Amino acid sequence: MEPLIGMGVLALIGVAATIAGASEDLESDVGSQSNPNSQVQLAPQMMFPHRIYNKAVSGEPPSNALMCSVGAAVATVLISEFTLSPLFALVIGSLVAACVHGTFAVTSTMGRAASQRRFKQPVYLDMIRSHTPVIMGYSFITTFCVLIVSYLMTVVLGHPFPLTMLAFIWGITVGAIGSSTGDVHYGAEREFQQFEFGSGLNASNSGNIVRYGESGVRNGYDNSWFCAKFGGPVTGIAFGMTVFLGSWVTTIFDPAVSIARGWLSVVAGVVIVLILIIWNWKIEVKARNAFGPYKEDKPEEASA
Amino acid sequence: MIDALMANILWMVFIVVGGVLISWSVHFVPVGGAPAAMAQATGIGTGTVQLAAGAGLTGLVSAGFMMNVTKDLPLILASGAVGAMIMISVTMIVGTWVYVYGVGCVPSSAKVKVDPITKYRQDLYVSQGTEGHGLPTVSFVSGVIGGCLGGIGGALIYYSLIEVGVTAGLAASASSSVTGNELVGIAAMFAIGIFFVNAVIPSYNIGGTIEGFHDPKWKKWPKAVMSSFVATILCAIVAVIAISQLGGI
Amino acid sequence: MSAGGAGGGATAAYPQQTIMAIGAVGGLAGIYLGHFMPPAFSFFGGLGAICAIVWGADAVRRVASYGLGTGVPSIGMIALGMGIVAALFGLSVGGIAGPIVSFIAAAIIGAVIGVLANKVIGMGIPIMEQAMVEIAGAGTLAIIGLSVVIAGTFNYADVVQNVVANGYIALIFIIGGMGILHPFNANLGPDEKQDRTLMLAVEKAAIAVVITGFASSLHEGLMAAGLNIFVGLVIWAFAFMKYYELVKRDAFSVVGTGLLPSAEELE
Repeated sequence: MEPLIGMGVLALIGVAATIAGASEDLESDVGSQSNPNSQVQLAPQMMFPHRIYNKAVSGEPPSNALMCSVGAAVATVLISEFTLSPLFALVIGSLVAACVHGTFAVTSTMGRAASQRRFKQPVYLDMIRSHTPVIMGYSFITTFCVLIVSYLMTVVLGHPFPLTMLAFIWGITVGAIGSSTGDVHYGAEREFQQFEFGSGLNASNSGNIVRYGESGVRNGYDNSWFCAKFGGPVTGIAFGMTVFLGSWVTTIFDPAVSIARGWLSVVAGVVIVLILIIWNWKIEVKARNAFGPYKEDKPEEASA
Repeated sequence: MIDALMANILWMVFIVVGGVLISWSVHFVPVGGAPAAMAQATGIGTGTVQLAAGAGLTGLVSAGFMMNVTKDLPLILASGAVGAMIMISVTMIVGTWVYVYGVGCVPSSAKVKVDPITKYRQDLYVSQGTEGHGLPTVSFVSGVIGGCLGGIGGALIYYSLIEVGVTAGLAASASSSVTGNELVGIAAMFAIGIFFVNAVIPSYNIGGTIEGFHDPKWKKWPKAVMSSFVATILCAIVAVIAISQLGGI
Repeated sequence: MSAGGAGGGATAAYPQQTIMAIGAVGGLAGIYLGHFMPPAFSFFGGLGAICAIVWGADAVRRVASYGLGTGVPSIGMIALGMGIVAALFGLSVGGIAGPIVSFIAAAIIGAVIGVLANKVIGMGIPIMEQAMVEIAGAGTLAIIGLSVVIAGTFNYADVVQNVVANGYIALIFIIGGMGILHPFNANLGPDEKQDRTLMLAVEKAAIAVVITGFASSLHEGLMAAGLNIFVGLVIWAFAFMKYYELVKRDAFSVVGTGLLPSAEELE
């Protein structure tokens, strides 16, 4: 393939992946999914009933893998059986995936609330009606962008895996990244904004999530509004970087040309990883100096 | 059936080695589970299985792409390792952004007093009522090692399964269409299945959370590696037979 | 197929043996009916998969209530990881007895992993061995059942060509796995009820039948695909309405809208 075309496709893949990552995180914030949801789940038990969606659709990786592989399977059928244009096929596939995801979301929030009968957590139907379309909308964007990434990789870059399997793997990856990065902003900061900034959640405050908003009762919209300012975009950058850098090293140093080129791509990848290690270390040092220790160093004074 | 196993004994050994590597790699990946998502524990705020699978399968995608153009085993393994390492280090660096800039806490470990790599004091920087938070340098390096091992393991399994198919007389050429190739499909799916089995076993071993190779729990790895060794032998036998049968139809 | 669909009393628990029998016998019967009947009747494979998924969800419910140390999803992932290897192995060597061979292979792998989890890793969950056997078996039957929906048969060559080569196996892997792990995960809580959890398993399995039914149009033609989708949708609609009824029965209250309960109400 022409290196220039390869670069263009790669840029498109990177953009689509970035959007997918951002919408994946916001989807999990508006519905409250994955690990931060353990606090939403705990809240009624601690006498804090709430009006926050309890979208316990397993972890984010399986749920995103499900969305993406449903979308890819439907798109594959439409492309090969009905000879539909790939763009339409991917849109329809994503639409079906969003509907399937909607049923998972509705059943889990109703089921979890119903299983908290003794803590007097009501099921708010208006909250379910208003949040489910937003969840489906975000999941549509995520699925569509992941399908674009997978489709371009399969058809244009010539990856040997079939579309559905590639979409499945990228679904697992986008979920793993989303739950590792953006969710922390929701879980550690937004859910517990009433406590002092600059520390982790004190275990004694577990379950005491913020339940009232700027006006009225807080809901998932307020959470995604907040997370869209930081958690969502950085998740997008993370997934975009993963997909882009992973393919970039083999596009710059094409292993099809020679084995030596292939090894250069490996070296380039290792250099990227080393840079990231050093970057993390720099941030750590900066944070230690800027925020300072939380405790006095008593034992060391005593020993000295 | 026995003939097929004997003919592919080398590939079966490779599959078992791959499974053991995956199992070992999970012990290196610093995951704090649900508490880490609330900055209550050191590590990445997600589940062990999910993160290991995310990294390892990203490595599988890289290795699959590399296998398309070359048959050089060390290069394929290296590209699998690089793919997984890039995924996990990007995830961790962005996690650090969120912990430091979004939550405002210092990366620190509660399991050790000083970071074995940077020699920085850790206990003073752990905020009240938590078990540490964020990713200190030692956890980051440990995670990169974990990604590397997992990527090699996944790529090794995939490569071996493809070779079993090639021995049975199948071709593994790319088709550049949405519907792929039989051998690639079955080998990738078996690799994913064996990957999940070997990612769940160690996550039960460490109870869902670990900070990295400096964590006392890390010393429990021989148990999980032994279990994965036995489990992967079983998986390897059935997978090799299933793929060998593919040659006859 | 109406496992868990009989409704029953508010707290009446279906005994474990009944559900095991429904899962194993119903699953195998569905698979064989789907295999031997003409392609238009491949939805029987889907009915078998529904039985197997209900069984798997019940087994997850029993083992996950012990607390696994990590999330419920992990056990669904290991189930399908074992299931996918065992399923294709059985179909490749078993011929007409394929699903049974797969089932036995899955039970052996599951038993070994269960023993390893308890004896070597030391999880100390008394029913771990049995649960692993059940979950692996259920996962295998779900995979084969859904493959029969797509391919119309469990003949190894057809399954590999129509299900594995085009990657639908990844869809079956995750949709079957979610069917098994989602019901208990979505109903987690102190007031979880077995009939509600199992009804959710039926609902999720029906979605799997609809999606695999659509995928079957590639190989079986539009008529068979339409019938598959129709059967799946009918079961889905029934199960969803039933599930909503059970939610209304079990919840503290189901309200159109409202503010949070006041401090006095919580006393």
